[in-house]
Amino acid sequence: MKQTLRYDQLSCRLLVEGLPDVSAGQPDDAVGIITSWTLDWAGRPQLEGRKEHLVALMQVVMPYARHRISGVARRFGDATQPVDIGPAEAGEGHLLMLRSSQSDTPPLQIGLDDAELSDLVRVLDLLRMDPRLQLPLAIPVSRPLKLREVLERTPLPQRLAAPLGGALVLAMATAFALMLPSPSALRPNNPPSPPHQPSPRPQGGRFQGPGLDVPRALPKLNPWQR
Amino acid sequence: MPHDSPTLEISLRLPRRGIERLDLLLLSVEALDLNGGEAMVWMSEQMGFTDRFPNRVELWKSRCHNPLRRTTRRGELAAADGDALIRILCALADRLYPVLRGLLSQAEAPEVLVQRWALFQSRLSELVKERMNPRRGGVQKYLNPETCVAECRQLVQSLALASGAGGFERLKASLLDAGS
Repeated sequence: MKQTLRYDQLSCRLLVEGLPDVSAGQPDDAVGIITSWTLDWAGRPQLEGRKEHLVALMQVVMPYARHRISGVARRFGDATQPVDIGPAEAGEGHLLMLRSSQSDTPPLQIGLDDAELSDLVRVLDLLRMDPRLQLPLAIPVSRPLKLREVLERTPLPQRLAAPLGGALVLAMATAFALMLPSPSALRPNNPPSPPHQPSPRPQGGRFQGPGLDVPRALPKLNPWQR
Repeated sequence: MPHDSPTLEISLRLPRRGIERLDLLLLSVEALDLNGGEAMVWMSEQMGFTDRFPNRVELWKSRCHNPLRRTTRRGELAAADGDALIRILCALADRLYPVLRGLLSQAEAPEVLVQRWALFQSRLSELVKERMNPRRGGVQKYLNPETCVAECRQLVQSLALASGAGGFERLKASLLDAGS
């Protein structure tokens, strides 16, 4: 009745042992109850645990891989969780940290290169997509990243360069504009023009408009008068 | 992130940046495998996409929706065509996984790694020069030796993570990123 699911990659091997859930009508070759699992790394200590630990591992590794494929390197998990993974602080690679539920056991740090991370993701993919595993696993679904998350892949100085450069150019242009003399200062000798007063309109004779000097009423001519 | 379903069912058209990246990843496959172009056609037939890409010209035309290409096509790439291209890419990445792993592994001898990366970068830059518009900023970073190293590493890492059982949904979600 006991079933063993085995997934191999070059640097790691995942073995999952479990039993079919007969009460749910599962076939004999299915795994509905995970009893134990082991992850063997080449040249590293073996990892083992219960189903909760395996799910915790998948809950941080799968979103981490999802973000890495988009070029976003951020940490998943924190000190309160049994597993967390993030980019290695020094140089390239990834740092997987596993915390034991026993208080006297120090956390285990495993440094992975890109190839080992890919191997780990592949074995976890094989497990979660195996039709023999008839057990719901609470694994985050791969979703497109939001703009805020995508921007994280650009270094902060590079992100700030454009707005800071724009603000600097605006400030310099404003300062230059303030240094220019105002147009009134260019004609200091011009006397101030008197306020415009409407000229009195003549009552008769000629209409004195601007540029016009025509008699308002033409004199009547008598051709017979000498 | 919701925990409702282990698979992602998205039938959305790829945005412009997604098409650019998908074509660059396919170009990387061609740089890794000298017969990559033939392998794409063969894989398309093996995966049953002959109705969508009946010949290599149709496959090439669908890739020409990439605006970074010298000869680019107007219009949008159909969602089903985009899905088919991603599936072909993931299958090719799975086939090339030992090569990808060899590039990414730190366990290899450093001088061997340097030679492998130099070969990959030179092949990729040749293909980029041949097919892409060198006046575009998105192309220049693959031709500049300083920026090319990081960009090539990101392409190879993306291919490695796109291979395998869950690679399709991971890569498709990545190509649909906002603002990407």
